[in-house]
Amino acid sequence: MLGDIITPDLFASALRMATPLALAAIGGTICERSGVVNIALEGIMLTGAFAGAAITLATGNPWVGVLAAVLAGVAIAAIHAFASINLRADQVVSGTGLNILALGLTGFLMERLYGHPGTTDPVKMIRPLFSLPKPPEGFVGEVLRWVEGVFLSHTPIVYAAIVIAVVAQWAMYKTRWGLRLRALGEHPKAADTVGISVYRGRWAAVLMSGALAGLAGANLVIEQVGSFTENMTNGRGFIALAANIFGRWTPAGSYLASLLFGFADALQIKLQMFRGQIDIPPQFFLMLPYVLTVIVLAGVIGRAVGPAAVGQPYEKG
Amino acid sequence: MNTKWSRILAVALALTLLVAFVPGCAKKTTDEGTGGGTEEPKTTVKAAMVTDVGGLGDKSFNDLSYEGLKRAEKELGVEIKVLESKEITDYESNIDQLANAGYSPIFAVGFLMTDTVAKLAPQYPDTQFGGVDEFFDPVPANVVGLTFKEHEGSYLAGVVAGLATKEKALSDKINDANVIGFVGGMDVPLIKKFEAGFIAGAKSVNPDVKVISLYAGNFTDQAKGKELGYSLIEQGADVIYAAAGAVGLGTIEACKEKGALFIGVDADQYLTVPGSGDVMLTSMMKRVDVAVFETIKAAVDGNFPGGTIKEFGLKEGGVDLAPFHDFENKVPQSIKDAVAKARQGIIDGTIQVPDKL
Repeated sequence: MLGDIITPDLFASALRMATPLALAAIGGTICERSGVVNIALEGIMLTGAFAGAAITLATGNPWVGVLAAVLAGVAIAAIHAFASINLRADQVVSGTGLNILALGLTGFLMERLYGHPGTTDPVKMIRPLFSLPKPPEGFVGEVLRWVEGVFLSHTPIVYAAIVIAVVAQWAMYKTRWGLRLRALGEHPKAADTVGISVYRGRWAAVLMSGALAGLAGANLVIEQVGSFTENMTNGRGFIALAANIFGRWTPAGSYLASLLFGFADALQIKLQMFRGQIDIPPQFFLMLPYVLTVIVLAGVIGRAVGPAAVGQPYEKG
Repeated sequence: MNTKWSRILAVALALTLLVAFVPGCAKKTTDEGTGGGTEEPKTTVKAAMVTDVGGLGDKSFNDLSYEGLKRAEKELGVEIKVLESKEITDYESNIDQLANAGYSPIFAVGFLMTDTVAKLAPQYPDTQFGGVDEFFDPVPANVVGLTFKEHEGSYLAGVVAGLATKEKALSDKINDANVIGFVGGMDVPLIKKFEAGFIAGAKSVNPDVKVISLYAGNFTDQAKGKELGYSLIEQGADVIYAAAGAVGLGTIEACKEKGALFIGVDADQYLTVPGSGDVMLTSMMKRVDVAVFETIKAAVDGNFPGGTIKEFGLKEGGVDLAPFHDFENKVPQSIKDAVAKARQGIIDGTIQVPDKL
């Protein structure tokens, strides 16, 4: 029984499911560190997913689709940046508006471009990076099967997410850019006084979060499922926000938190296999990742404190 | 400075919200003429339908209902109209609009509209309503609930899957494990009917077969559907049946990647899902078009079955298996015979298909 749960695919599945969450969560981390709340991650991811599907369908090249998803994410994020930085709008209101906009806009464009809502035609997908020969029988083969299944069975963006997490963690704590970014979120006035442009810094951070959430959408459409369906992100942007908080506003923490959520989701799928044998309704398993979110956010892991100036518009002068 | 900015902000936000809501609220009406030649039989019946939020182009119930409507237009000469719902909140206004314009019968597509129909039917006592996939208790006198014996069609799908998993010649995707899989959308009684029928059908021809059922918890998350497919295939499932809406599209992708056969649902998914031919063994079709057409026909003939729940099973042509398409020549006669036998047994009543686990 345990052997049916603990399989290479359990861990591979966790990595796959963690990837869109992690990319959006790291985007959210960068954004909030600069002092701007970005609850539009969900809508940005959805828009990115749509742009990725549409451009891949139009050009036949999934890599162009990935680029389009990133750019679409940046475009939506630019609206958020303009509203919340230049116009000093309430960042939560702006983000909510953008989430609704994304839902309506993608549905509207689907109808305009393809004549129907629902699901697009299949797009050309990006396949796993490595294709390895079938492992031999025996112990060595078993080890190879695990290594391949868990680590080598993935598509490029899955690996890219890990690299992005490491680089962002390093950049946030070891570079001048990172120090300035954190200063913007903690005490923008102080940063301003020493000559750091608050607007420019925050703009860059918001656009980066848009690019990462857009990339998350590309991963969903172009690497995972191969077509766009309305509202296909299914709340992943909001789970990503939770992962950002759980990860205590650090890129590495965001990645690990996303991995935990991905693992919980992968685990519940495997546990469902034993529905017949242990009499537990499947709803119980389905809620596992969300229960985990609530427990985590309720502070079992300790109180998480965000950047001091997060959510506050900065007024120069 | 401040007031200027806040004014710009107010306008910008208002515009954002406007743009956000306009596509959401827009109702596309599809007007269809009374159709074709003058030699067609004339009737004064004006039939209409309100789509579920999936809208036309869902390649499923909404499209199928529309097919039934179009057939009625062509064969019976009725005037037809479709209103699409973009939001659940559109149901009521769409039905109001059609009822006030004199349409009857009006078909409300999808079980989400059940409560709306139950609420509005008494307000329009002279209008006939057809609720596709809707169950009423009690049934208003001017409403007919159109339901389907999904378990009967799923039983046939189970017969196919139960035999196919042992038929190595069928495809190189068939393995030795004697395991088949079921993917459900939400764990609700309607989906349980599919699961129960499928399992009963599979066990009837292959008592030792192991059927693993996994649920996604929604009908839209394709990525989840793919993960469920991966898990089933890892457990040895080589034929997978999904009753899970768009979730099933992800499962098809998993089948294509990891090598398993798939049985589609609701429509003939060989035709509606491009590029699925090499894994699509067959589909369990809910012939919503048949149910809608038959109901309009009854209305035209003056015997609309108001106040009842109609159950469309194999016998009524309301559910059926789609052709094997690309597998037509590979599926052995023994499987086709077993399906024919099961079909006859269900129609005769000698086989009682369970509708719950």
